[in-house]
Amino acid sequence: MHFPIDPNAPETVVRRDFLKKLGAASTAAWMTGTPQLVRGKEIEHPEATADSCILLWMAGGMAAPETFDPKRYAPFENGMAVDSVLSTFPSIDSSVDNIKVCAGMENIAKIMDRGTLIRSVVQPDLGSILHSRHQYHWHTGYVPPQTVACPHLGSWMARVLGPKNPVMPAFINIGQRLEGVGEKEELKAFTTAGFFGSEYGPMNLPFPEQASQSVRPPEGMTAERFANRDKLYRKLLAKSPHREYASDFQQESLIRSMDNAYRLLSSKERKAFDIESEPKEVRDAYDTSRFGRGCLLARRLVENGARFIEVSTEYVPFLHWDTHANGHDTVDRLHKEIDRPVAQLILDLEERGLLDRTLVIVASEFSRDAIMEGKPGSDANDQATHKVDTITESKHYGLHRHFTGGTSVAMFGGGVKKGFLYGKTADERPLVAVENPVSMMDLHATIMTAMGISPKTEFTIEGRPFYVTEDGKGKAVSEIFA
Amino acid sequence: MLLLRRTAYRISAMAMRPHSYYPRKVKPSFSSLFSFLFLLPVVAKGQIDFVHQIVPVLKEHCTECHGGEEAKGGFSLNTRELFLDDETAIPGEAEKSYFIELILDSDPDYQMPPEKKARVPKEQVQLLKQWVDEGMKWEPGFTFGEPTYEPPLKPRRPALPQVTDARGNPIDRIIDHYLSENALPRPEPIDDATFLRRVSLDLTGLLPTPDEARNFLSDVSPDKRTQLIEDLLSRDIAYTEHWLTFWNDLLRNDYDGTGFITGGRTQISEWLYDSLKSNKPFDQMVRELVAPQDKSSSGFIDGIKWRGTVSAGQTLPIQFSQSISQSFLGINMKCASCHDSFIDRWTLADAYGLAAIYSEEPLEIHRCDKPIGETASAAWLFPEIGKLDSSKDKAERLRQLAHLMTHPDNGRVPRTIVNRLWGQLMGHGIVHPLDAMQTEPWNEDLLDWLASDFQDNGYDLKRTLRLITNSQAYQSQTTEQKETAEFVYDGPRTKRMTAEAFVDAIWQITGTAPVAYHAPVARGVVPTELTERLSFPSSWVWGSSIDKGPPPNGEQILLRREFTPTKPIRSAGIIAAADNSFVLYLNNKQILSGEKWTDLEAGPILNHLRPKTNRILIVAENRGARPNAAGVFCAVRIEYQDDTEEIIVTDSSWQVTNEIPKDSRPARWKLEDLEWESAKQLGNITWKKQTDPKIGETLATASVGSSRMIRASLLKADDLMRSLGRPNRDQIVTSRPSELTTLEAIDLSTSNVLFENLEKGASAFLAKNLTSTEELVEEIYLTLLTRRPTQGEISILTEILGESPEKGLITDTLWSLTMTPEFLLIR
Repeated sequence: MHFPIDPNAPETVVRRDFLKKLGAASTAAWMTGTPQLVRGKEIEHPEATADSCILLWMAGGMAAPETFDPKRYAPFENGMAVDSVLSTFPSIDSSVDNIKVCAGMENIAKIMDRGTLIRSVVQPDLGSILHSRHQYHWHTGYVPPQTVACPHLGSWMARVLGPKNPVMPAFINIGQRLEGVGEKEELKAFTTAGFFGSEYGPMNLPFPEQASQSVRPPEGMTAERFANRDKLYRKLLAKSPHREYASDFQQESLIRSMDNAYRLLSSKERKAFDIESEPKEVRDAYDTSRFGRGCLLARRLVENGARFIEVSTEYVPFLHWDTHANGHDTVDRLHKEIDRPVAQLILDLEERGLLDRTLVIVASEFSRDAIMEGKPGSDANDQATHKVDTITESKHYGLHRHFTGGTSVAMFGGGVKKGFLYGKTADERPLVAVENPVSMMDLHATIMTAMGISPKTEFTIEGRPFYVTEDGKGKAVSEIFA
Repeated sequence: MLLLRRTAYRISAMAMRPHSYYPRKVKPSFSSLFSFLFLLPVVAKGQIDFVHQIVPVLKEHCTECHGGEEAKGGFSLNTRELFLDDETAIPGEAEKSYFIELILDSDPDYQMPPEKKARVPKEQVQLLKQWVDEGMKWEPGFTFGEPTYEPPLKPRRPALPQVTDARGNPIDRIIDHYLSENALPRPEPIDDATFLRRVSLDLTGLLPTPDEARNFLSDVSPDKRTQLIEDLLSRDIAYTEHWLTFWNDLLRNDYDGTGFITGGRTQISEWLYDSLKSNKPFDQMVRELVAPQDKSSSGFIDGIKWRGTVSAGQTLPIQFSQSISQSFLGINMKCASCHDSFIDRWTLADAYGLAAIYSEEPLEIHRCDKPIGETASAAWLFPEIGKLDSSKDKAERLRQLAHLMTHPDNGRVPRTIVNRLWGQLMGHGIVHPLDAMQTEPWNEDLLDWLASDFQDNGYDLKRTLRLITNSQAYQSQTTEQKETAEFVYDGPRTKRMTAEAFVDAIWQITGTAPVAYHAPVARGVVPTELTERLSFPSSWVWGSSIDKGPPPNGEQILLRREFTPTKPIRSAGIIAAADNSFVLYLNNKQILSGEKWTDLEAGPILNHLRPKTNRILIVAENRGARPNAAGVFCAVRIEYQDDTEEIIVTDSSWQVTNEIPKDSRPARWKLEDLEWESAKQLGNITWKKQTDPKIGETLATASVGSSRMIRASLLKADDLMRSLGRPNRDQIVTSRPSELTTLEAIDLSTSNVLFENLEKGASAFLAKNLTSTEELVEEIYLTLLTRRPTQGEISILTEILGESPEKGLITDTLWSLTMTPEFLLIR
C-alpha cells in the first residue's frame, strides 16, 4: 500500500516548507505566551557529533554487576550468605581488553569496541526509592515534583533541533504502555513534552509489531478511499466561506498539521513503521521479545530520518528489570531478550553507515545490589520481597535491592570514543563509583552536547528561565568524545 | 574634558527618551539572595552569570547613583540598552568600555565610584571585564529600575463613558470609548448562525442541535440573542459539565492521576459539581476552598502529597502558598517560594508567610532548598486590607485568610476571576497572561468595572458571563493576532475547542457517548426514585483460593452466569468492577473491561440480549507483587415492558474456574470441558465504600439510558483527550493550547474509534430518511457547523454523494468537515 500525495491538491499545501511551518508554530508560541527560547542571549551550541539518538531503556533498574560491570561471581549454593553475592553471573571477555561483561551478553561483548562504557553514573538519593521518580529524573533532568511540567529529553531535542526528516515525528517512544500498567500516571508525567506543548511530545508505539497501524488509514478503509477522503477534505476546505480568514494564524496552523499528518501517512517513510516487511532472517535476528522488535523498528525509523527514539523493555512494577525476587533467573531471561537485538542494532547501523551519526545509549534508572538499598548512609526502605540472610532457594538468589551509588551507561556511535572505558566502581561492597563519578546532570549534558544542544539552552516559562540541564549547570563529560 | 562632553551629551539623550522606554512589569528585589550568592567563586572563562555574578557588583558599587530613579551625570544603567548608551560599555570590548576606564581610573576627579566611596575590588573588576568581553549578557526584561505599574488592590468603580450609537451594555460603553480613543474601528458584528454556535459552545460546550439552529435562525424577535443566553445559562447541567473543565484545570482537580492512587490527594469533584450547578457565589466558593468546612472541598488546599522526599519548594504548605496565589490572585508564587522573585515583587518571606498559614508545624524558611535558619510567620500578601493573627491555630488562620480573600476591600480576587472569564469568552485576557495579574491591563476601566460589578452583585459568575455575552463586543467578528509587542484590543480572538468540547461534539453528532463516567458526582439526570432504589450494597465474588487467605498475585479466574429473560424487555444494563482487572463478555461479545477496582464500568445491553439463554463470562486477574485481596462485582438490571424488573448480582449462583481458555474468542471456548465450582462470596471489603455510592445512578443510567449525554469532562483523560491538550492536572494549568499538533492530526486521521463513531453517525443521518441529497447535506451542515451549506458546498457534495448516498461517503464527509478549522475553532 502506498499513498502518493494527491497530485490535484493545491500546490501551496503540498510544497510548503516544513521548517517554515515550524517557524510559524514558534511564532504562535511567542504570541500566546507559551515558552519561548530566550532571545537576546546568544547560546553557542556545540557542534553536533550525532544527528539521531536511540535510548535503549532498561526499565526497572538494570543491575550493573549483572550486565556491564561484573564483580566477583558467587555461584548459587544452598545456604550461602546473601551478603556474599556481588554478581550472579561470571564475567566474559569483550572485544576490548580492559572491559569484561557478564556471561549471557556474548553478542554485546563483541560490540563493546564500537562505543564507550561509563561505569560511574551516580543517582541522587531521593528518599524512598521509587522507580517513577528516578525515571522522571533520568528522562527530564529534574527531580519530581516540579512546579512546571518538565519536558522529556526527546522533547528537548524535538523542540531545539526539530525533526531530522520533516515527515518523521521527531520523538518516537517504543515499547512502553501508558495504559493498563501500574504507575501509569507516573509514567505519563515524564513521557511528555511538558510545557513545550504536545507538538513536541512523543508518538507512542507500545507494540512495535503494531506500529504500522498508527500510520495507516483506520481499519476497513482502503488506500484509495483514504486518498479520496483527503481530496474531499481539501475540496470542502477550499470551498468553505471561512477561507476568507485565510491569513488567520490558528486556521493556517491547523491546516498545516493536517497536511503534515497526511504527508507522513502517504509517504514512503510510513513503511518504516512496518517491521513485518523485513526479511524473515532479519526479523529473527531481532525477535527475542517486544523489546527486540522495538530495536528493529528503531533501526528502520532512524534509517528514515527519525531524531529521537526510546525503546523500552517496559516498566511494569515488579516485572522485567524490577527484580524484587528471583533476580538471577529473571536477568538470565533478560540477557536473552536484549543481547542479540542490541548488538544487531549497532552492527546494522554500522553496516548502513549510520552509526557514526547515531548515538545509541543503553541505560536504566539505577543499579541493583544484593543487600544495599539506596546507597551507603541512605535510610531508604528495604523493598526486597524476601528479607533473608541466607539463600536457601533460587528465588532468594539475585540483586533485589535498588542501588543508586554507581551504575553503568553504555554509549555507541554518535561521536563517542570506541572501545573506551570511563569511570570505575569499587570491587567490594559498597559498589559505589570510585573514579570519575558522573552525575545525572552531566550525563544529560553529555547526551545533549553530542546532539549539538548546549547544556545551557534555556526557555522562559512562567517568567522564569528553565534550562535543559538544571540551572544550565550540566557539563559534558568531554573525555568520552572521540 | 572628555567626561564633561560625554556627560552633556548623555543628558540630552536621556531627555529624549520617552517614559515608556523602561521595561515594565519587572522589579528586582535581590537583596537577600545576593548576600548569599555573592560567595560563589569566580568560575572559568565563558561562564559569567549575569544575575548571580554581575548584578551584585553593580548593586554594590553603581546603582545607588546610576540605577532606579537615580541617573547622576545623566547616566543610568537600568537596562542593557541604557548601559550601552554612548559607548559607556561596548559589548566584547572591555578595554574600550568607558565605565571600565572610569572604574580603573586613579584620578580622584574622574574615577568611579567617586573618591569617597570604596573602590571596586580587583576580582570584581575582572568579573565585569570578562562579562563585557563575553558580550554583556543580560537577563531578558531585567531592569534595575522600579516597575512602572503596580496594580491597584482595592475595588474601583469607574464612571461609564457616554452611550454611543445606542450601544448601552456597560462593556460596550467602555470598549467603544477605548476604540475611539485609539482610533480603532469597531469589529464587524456577527450573524445569527455564528453567534448561536459561539455562544452555545462558550456557555455549555455543546453544539446547537439542527432544530435549535433552525428555530433560532427563523426567530424574528429582536431580543432573541438575549433570550438564547438566558436559556443556555439556565441549562444547569450542560453549563456545569462544560465549565467543570475550566474549574478542574484551575483547581487541578481530576478523577485519576498521581497522588490519587496512593491516597496523597483527594478530589473536590462533587463539591465543585454542586457549586457550579447551583451557581454558588464565587466568594463562598473561595471561602469553602480556602477554609474547608469538611472533606468535600479540602482537596484544593491539601494539594498533592508526593511519595518520597520532596524539595522545599514542593512541600504541602508551599503548594498551598502557590495554589492560592495562582488560582485566586493571579500571582506566580513559584519563583518566590525558592528565592525572592526576579519577575515580580514577591519575596521568599511572602511565599513562606502564606505557607505558614497552612503549616501545622513551625515552618523553616528554605532558600533554594537550603534552610536559612529562620522560621516563617503566618502572614498574607496584602496587610493593607487586614492582618492575620499568626498566633491562632491552623483552622482559625485559614478562616481569617478566607475572610481576607473575600473582604470587600479586596479587589484582586474579583479582578482575577472576571479576567479569567473574559479570557475564556474573548480569547485573550484584559490582563494577559491570566496568571500574571501584576501586569497592566489593556483597559483598566473595563477590568475594574467588571470586577466591581461582579463583587457588588453577589460574586455571581453567571451574571458576568451574561454581561459579556450580551455585549456587542462579544457579538463581533474575531480578529487576528498580530505580532506586535503591545496588545491592542480590536475584537475577540478565535479560540480552539477544548479536548472535551471536541469529544462531546463528536458524541453529539454521532450519538456514541459512553454510558459510564468517572467523576464521582450525581448528575441527577435519571429518576431519583430509581437511583435510590438501585442503591444496594455491592456483593463480590472470587474463586476458592480465598479459603486459604489472600488470593495469589497473577491468579486468573473465569466466572460464568446464565440467565433467561421471562418477558418482553424494555431496557437493560450491566455494571461491573474488579480487583484488579476484568474483561466481561455477554453472549461471547466483549461488553466491558476495567483496570481499577474503584471504578464501576457500565453499559446498556438491550441490543446484545437474546430472548432465550444469555451468558455472561468474566475473566478477572489479581495483580501485584504478592498475594493480595481480589474480587469481582457485577450487576445486571432488566426492565420488562410490564414495569417489572429483574436484577442479577454476583453471588454463589455464579460458577467459577481457574482454567482460562487460551483462544481469544469466547465463542470457541469449550466451557463444558472446564471444571466449575460455585463462586465464593467475599466478606466485607474495604473498596466497597468507593463503589457503592455510585451503584444506584450507574445501574439506573446503564439500564434506562439518560436523556442527557455523558460529557467528556466527567471522564478520566484518555489518549485522545490528552493529545488534544487536556493537561495532566498535577500542576495548575489555566490555558489550553490554541493549536492542533501534527501528532494529534495523525491520531485524528488514523483513529479507529473516531472512524467507527463517525460511521455510526453516518447511519444515524441515513436513518433520518431525508428526501434528497441536498436535504441531507443541509442537515449535516446544520448539525456540524450550525449553518446552511453554500451553493458551492452543496454542488460538491451532491456530486460526490450521488442520489442515494452510501454510508462510507457520508462517514468521510463527516470526517472532512470535523477536521476543518471552521469546526475545530470557535469564532
